[in-house]
Amino acid sequence: MIKYDSVTKIFGVGKEAVTALDNINFTIKKGEIVVFLGPSGCGKTTTMRLTNKLDTITRGSISINGESIAEINEVKLRQRMGYVIQEIGLFPNKTIAQNIAVVPRLLGWPRHKINNRVDELLHMTNLEPGLYRNRYPAELSGGQQQRVGVARGLAADPEIMLMDEPFGAIDPINREQIQDEFLRVQSKIKKTIAFVSHDIHEAIKMGDKIALFDNGKLIQYDVPEVILTRPKNKFVADFVGADRALKVLGLMRVSEVTNFKPQNIIAGTDNAQTAHKFLEENDFRYGIVVDNNKPLGYVTLKNLKYENGLVIDVVENYPHFEEKSSSLRDVLSYMLMHTLMTFCVVDDNGDFIGTVSYNDIQRAVKKSYSDEAEKDWKEV
Amino acid sequence: MGIIFKKLNRFLLILILMGTGIIAERVGLIEYVIDPNEYPFIIIFFWQHLILVVYSMAIATIIGLAVGIILTRKRFKKIAGVVMYIISLGQTIPSLAVLALAMSFLGIGTKPAIFALIIYSILPIARNTLAGIIAVPPYLVNAAKGMGMPAWRILLEIELPNATSVILTGFRVAMIINIGTAALAFLIGAGGLGDLIFSGISLMRTEQLLAGAIPVTFMALVADFLCEILGLLIVSKGLRLASEH
Ligand SMILES: Nc1ncnc2c1ncn2[C@@H]1O[C@H](COP(=O)(O)OP(=O)(O)OP(=O)(O)O)[C@@H](O)[C@H]1O
Ligand SMILES: [Mg+2]
Repeated sequence: MIKYDSVTKIFGVGKEAVTALDNINFTIKKGEIVVFLGPSGCGKTTTMRLTNKLDTITRGSISINGESIAEINEVKLRQRMGYVIQEIGLFPNKTIAQNIAVVPRLLGWPRHKINNRVDELLHMTNLEPGLYRNRYPAELSGGQQQRVGVARGLAADPEIMLMDEPFGAIDPINREQIQDEFLRVQSKIKKTIAFVSHDIHEAIKMGDKIALFDNGKLIQYDVPEVILTRPKNKFVADFVGADRALKVLGLMRVSEVTNFKPQNIIAGTDNAQTAHKFLEENDFRYGIVVDNNKPLGYVTLKNLKYENGLVIDVVENYPHFEEKSSSLRDVLSYMLMHTLMTFCVVDDNGDFIGTVSYNDIQRAVKKSYSDEAEKDWKEV
Repeated sequence: MGIIFKKLNRFLLILILMGTGIIAERVGLIEYVIDPNEYPFIIIFFWQHLILVVYSMAIATIIGLAVGIILTRKRFKKIAGVVMYIISLGQTIPSLAVLALAMSFLGIGTKPAIFALIIYSILPIARNTLAGIIAVPPYLVNAAKGMGMPAWRILLEIELPNATSVILTGFRVAMIINIGTAALAFLIGAGGLGDLIFSGISLMRTEQLLAGAIPVTFMALVADFLCEILGLLIVSKGLRLASEH
């Protein structure tokens, strides 16, 4: 746990004084990722550098698990915190293994333990140890270097990680991938993480909470959903962007809106006319064809009307099936692409478990906003 | 094209060697060198020269490195400019004057010669140590500090290794200057190959002059070559790879 208590940082003195941080208060809970977000020069890096005492606090205090950092030896403090700098900063004169081993060596780990740890981290970051251990940073791509940078930060298994735009140097496609990997790792290792970003998408994706800074002030500190659905003021609303409803969708999973008991299910082996009658009587415009728990596709009333054979003969395929964990943003995008209002949701085996429809999505978005409106009202 | 050029090169080299051989014979150099009354002196002078160079370079390197390192520490950064200026003044004084000055308070012999050579060799080493360390990207030091590396380790593991090739260039320059300047050491009674060269000049004995000048040149070339090898040994492979990119 990291607690920021009335933290103020002023650089310089007299006329040249710059207030980089102005009375900041917030707490990063154990095991949480908090993303520091905000425009250039708002104080994100400064907050981080105060945390590991690379800069000194002007007023206020920072404490770690209740102990003020002023009481802790700075070298000891830093060795307890993994530090990933924005420039990656791998030491070009050291091999990949030596780079990762820096903090374990400082801590005096025995050699075999260090070697095992290096291999473990290389595995974890998807770099084959046999291939990369003895290479030099110059022999790695930017993305690979950034992975090593993160591995180096994690090396001594610190309780806290300070990560200053750790994925900044990676192109968008690989960034998505490395973010996913990192979240997967984090779900196992549960570090307390301060994570600087200037990218709202990254913040929403990575952050358990977002600390939004502007001009040295902490404007809003909350979970991403609340930042998106209830921006505190115009600055926050502008910063998260006009498409914030879409961003909320990016946070919601298919499982949250899945209809697990759709009524318009018909079997592929049904007679087409029977199926037509069934749909018409229940006022369904189409039916979902499921055989042996596998979704086959869909049929419309029009398809069935003049068909005398089986349903399976006129079934239309779905271009794509959704998984429970897909984001609603992606689902909505598929709906727009294929002009389909409903998709089937399947489990890992491809078995049918329900449907997700445009109306369900719309209702969910509306609800998340009205929930917030209600909260607003109560607080007043 | 490359192969032809290489062959031509080799041919030229053989030609030059043969030419030098003929000239050496004509001026009586070979006769001089195998003369049992002369060649022990050549060897003695060579050793004297070598010792002057090795001792003065060893001490100048230690001092130069120390000065360069100290001037890059936070506390002394402000005075770096002034100190470098003072040291560079040492370099602008003609070498003969430095020798004379050294002699005036250390007397004659090897000691003042080594002292003068040290004064003369510190600057390139100190200057390049300073420049090399300053050129290490600040974010590397920042990263090291932020990971909890104590200052002395940052110096040894990050700053110096990343500055090595620049420092080595300074060392090389100092070494070449040193070998050349050491030829003047005989003026204050420290011997060295300069003795052969200058007495050869004053006696108008070309063979004697060459018997001094050729080993000096040879020594400088070998020193240069050794610096190259040293670079391969002590500059991290990672840095060489990085500079190729
Ligand atoms: N060493 C320093 N001396 C003086 N002012 C500084 C110093 N470091 C930072 N500042 C100032 O403090 C403010 C906050 O800087 P900081 O580096 O924390 O911004 P940031 O949010 O990390 O920005 P960016 O997104 O551009 O990295 C800026 O106005 C900056 O100019
Ligand atoms: Mg910054």
